[in-house]
Amino acid sequence: MPTKELPERSEITIIGGGIIGVALAHELAKRGEEVTVIEKRFIGSGSTFRCGTGIRQQFNDEANVQVMKRSVELWKKYSEEYGFPFEQTGYLFLLYDDEEVEEFKKNIAIQNRFGVPTRLITPEEAKEIVPLLDTSEVIAASWNPTDGKASPFHSTAKFALHAEEFGARLVEYTEVKDFIIENGEIKGLKTSRGTIKTGIVVNATNAWAKLINAMAGIRTKIPIEPYKHQAVITQPIRKGAVKPMVISFRYGHAYLTQTSHGGIIGGVGYEEGPTYDLNPTYEFLREVSYYFTKIIPALRELLILRTWAGYYAKTPDSNPAIGKIEELSNYYIAAGFSGHGFMMAPAVAEMVADLITKGKTDLPVEWYDPYRFERGELRGQALQMG
Amino acid sequence: MRPLDLTEKDPSKKVTIYFEGKPYEAYEGEKIPVALLANGIYWLTTSLQGRKRGAFTFGPLPIVLNGMKNVDGRKAKVRDGIRIERQNYGEFQEAVEIDGTKEPLRVVVDVAVIGGGIAGIGAALEMQEHLTVALIEEKGWLGGLMFLESVPQGGFDEEPRKVVKGLTSKFNENLRVFTQTVALGVFDEGEYFLVPAAKGDQLVEIMAKRVVLATGAVENILLFENNEFPGVFRLDFALEVINKWGVAPGRKVAVVGRRPERIIPELEKWGIEYVVVPNPKRVEGEEKVERLIDTNGNVYEVDAVIVSDYRIPDINPITQAGGKLRFKRGHYLPVLDSKNRIREGIYVAGSAAGIKPHRANYIEGRLVGAHILREFGYEASPAVYREQLEEYEVEGMPLPVIDFSMNLEDVQICGCDVNFKKVDDVVKSGIKDLQIIKRLTHLAMGFCQGRFCLYNGALLVSQRTETPMGELDIPVARPPLKNVKMKVVARGE
Ligand SMILES: Cc1cc2nc3c(=O)[nH]c(=O)nc-3n(C[C@H](O)[C@H](O)[C@H](O)COP(=O)(O)OP(=O)(O)OC[C@H]3O[C@@H](n4cnc5c(N)ncnc54)[C@H](O)[C@@H]3O)c2cc1C
Repeated sequence: MPTKELPERSEITIIGGGIIGVALAHELAKRGEEVTVIEKRFIGSGSTFRCGTGIRQQFNDEANVQVMKRSVELWKKYSEEYGFPFEQTGYLFLLYDDEEVEEFKKNIAIQNRFGVPTRLITPEEAKEIVPLLDTSEVIAASWNPTDGKASPFHSTAKFALHAEEFGARLVEYTEVKDFIIENGEIKGLKTSRGTIKTGIVVNATNAWAKLINAMAGIRTKIPIEPYKHQAVITQPIRKGAVKPMVISFRYGHAYLTQTSHGGIIGGVGYEEGPTYDLNPTYEFLREVSYYFTKIIPALRELLILRTWAGYYAKTPDSNPAIGKIEELSNYYIAAGFSGHGFMMAPAVAEMVADLITKGKTDLPVEWYDPYRFERGELRGQALQMG
Repeated sequence: MRPLDLTEKDPSKKVTIYFEGKPYEAYEGEKIPVALLANGIYWLTTSLQGRKRGAFTFGPLPIVLNGMKNVDGRKAKVRDGIRIERQNYGEFQEAVEIDGTKEPLRVVVDVAVIGGGIAGIGAALEMQEHLTVALIEEKGWLGGLMFLESVPQGGFDEEPRKVVKGLTSKFNENLRVFTQTVALGVFDEGEYFLVPAAKGDQLVEIMAKRVVLATGAVENILLFENNEFPGVFRLDFALEVINKWGVAPGRKVAVVGRRPERIIPELEKWGIEYVVVPNPKRVEGEEKVERLIDTNGNVYEVDAVIVSDYRIPDINPITQAGGKLRFKRGHYLPVLDSKNRIREGIYVAGSAAGIKPHRANYIEGRLVGAHILREFGYEASPAVYREQLEEYEVEGMPLPVIDFSMNLEDVQICGCDVNFKKVDDVVKSGIKDLQIIKRLTHLAMGFCQGRFCLYNGALLVSQRTETPMGELDIPVARPPLKNVKMKVVARGE
């Protein structure tokens, strides 16, 4: 049910109304740019509203640590300004053997270098943070209290409302179907509700990015593929029962935390794909229950309310592709966020807005260079949850 | 007899139970909320927002049973000496016992029929001669709503319960009946459909080549202030306590809703005093309903309120299984092909396909059974049933008009503390899409996953934004179809 008219033309058009497209529209509009978002269903309907809410700076490379540090600053700023739930309740990685501990020590060193206060703690300390944990096999934990979580619903909706206040247009239930290109320049987009003339176009469709690139006739190799990842939520329980995001690579690559509403939310490393199928599976329901109850036995007696599926849009190194595609004079991409696009959105919005308005940015955007695949310069695997 | 007993109970089953430390008379095997009701106790739990709740409207019913928290009070039965305490939503058992996970029970049949109401019974009877069938029913009885009625209606001449007993006595050995078993969803497994189900703590995996969704309807939730207060009864719960358990909802009850004729014959039969109040505004009381006030300011001193309104098809099993919806004459209904299928292999029969008399639901069950028989290569005459079915009309529901002058904070859309004001405030803030409103308010995201609340949420959005009901983007249900504890589905080591 479209609520807004498709404008006749727009200086900048963002395809995709997930957290990336919406946060970018917000940032651009705030800087006074004329911007339109075209979303085929409703904002957040892609992966954003299906995500696990987690926001962390605990990465294993300098670029992601820096970008996430900036992102957390922005999460804090905007949650205060706009009033949506963002809580710095930390990320707690449970570690079960020496090899894991060594690995995390290296990560912690990188994080500390950029001022992220992660430290290694004992199982006893971990249990103080989450008394419900079974720490009998845990030997240490990597703990950063400044990581956190936010409600994807409230945050996306607030960014959208304020983007509109700054003059951005969010057009929902409108699908981009083709590009109108003349002499290497995008002139317009054909949509399910007519044509829009446009200047700059940003592909922010994440799991669908390869289809939009195909419509734009892009030949550069930018391998982003959709993988089905699922999540679960339980009945709401007493607030504060599981404050941080708890991670266990040992138990199914599981991540879980409590939402601001009270339910325990999370997922495991169970993955299918590449596929555009989004049907939740019975196998996932069984696996996630097995791993979760291993990590927190009290979950055994909690009711499962729902499971659902969304996409991890994955590249070979689990880092997104962000930047300008030179084949066309006015085409950008910010897609392929794997399991960490929600958390990165505010910083990505800043980076891409910088590129568009100033041609450069202080954040290390080169790390996400869309040409690295073609050049065979893959980055180290970004630390991915689930 | 206890204060609200309608019938004498078997004295050999008489036991003592303790509620909040005090002893009460109860009968072995009774449902706990029924035993407490018979003793005049209505308030059993408190919601996250601190609202008192009973067992008979909506929302979960967590209780503390013999010291164990978060037990489903609607499923627990009376045993001698048990101790029951009230529990707030959100409390849970921190120290749990870790017994090894049981292996699932695997069942392979030709057809899984989900729902043992009159439509499911019809489908099973039609197919049982040639096909193996699993009939899955959540309740402890077959016949659904019909089993709870004692006055002949809906196109059968006999007492409804007798009709059900007569039909189920014809079941043969090709038919496996699973009662008190909750189907968790329908999953595609190539040549088969997998229908996992939970019978208590036992997981049952039913593999079937065809599935019949005979999953029925739910009562429309009437919107008035404190509409979920202890002592407000959903019609199906009122029928259950009266006719299955022989306990009255109250000594003097108010009947509200647009279809009072659905409950009045039962109240008259049992001599329960009642008053019909067509325009309820608010119920009030300390721990249970003490009075009902109507929109004209009339005050009725009653100790229970029965909501007797329309029924609405339960669309959750339909959308979970991949069905599409359409909006017709007040109801969201599954889009069906000429064989009553939502898609290849999955059939719909009974109230789930549209509200109609019991007899018509029975015929529709036989109809889909006949279609399936044919697909397996057996003789059957679906056309005959189709013709019979055409004699009945599918009931529509006039769209309720929301009275926005009520104190919207006290009007509950569902048991998860979603009230009208919360939803209305989001709409007023400029958000008009039901999908987003749902996520900002948690409407349809709690225990019932929208089974009871989605309709009223859609209604509010439709009326506030002047969008026709049929144009709203309606969320689909996800597995598990009904809540299940993690330990039940956790796979083994
Ligand atoms: C189970 C799960 C758990 C996750 N947990 C986390 C987590 O804890 N933390 C975290 O940071 N990330 C998490 N993620 C990842 C996160 O959800 C994504 O990285 C993030 O939402 C990506 O946002 P986006 O805006 O790029 O994509 P999306 O939200 O998918 O937005 C893209 C939009 O483009 C639209 N679109 C596509 N094609 C067209 C077209 N032709 N025309 C118009 N519109 C179109 C789509 O409808 C969609 O809305 C999780 C993901 C999943 C699936």
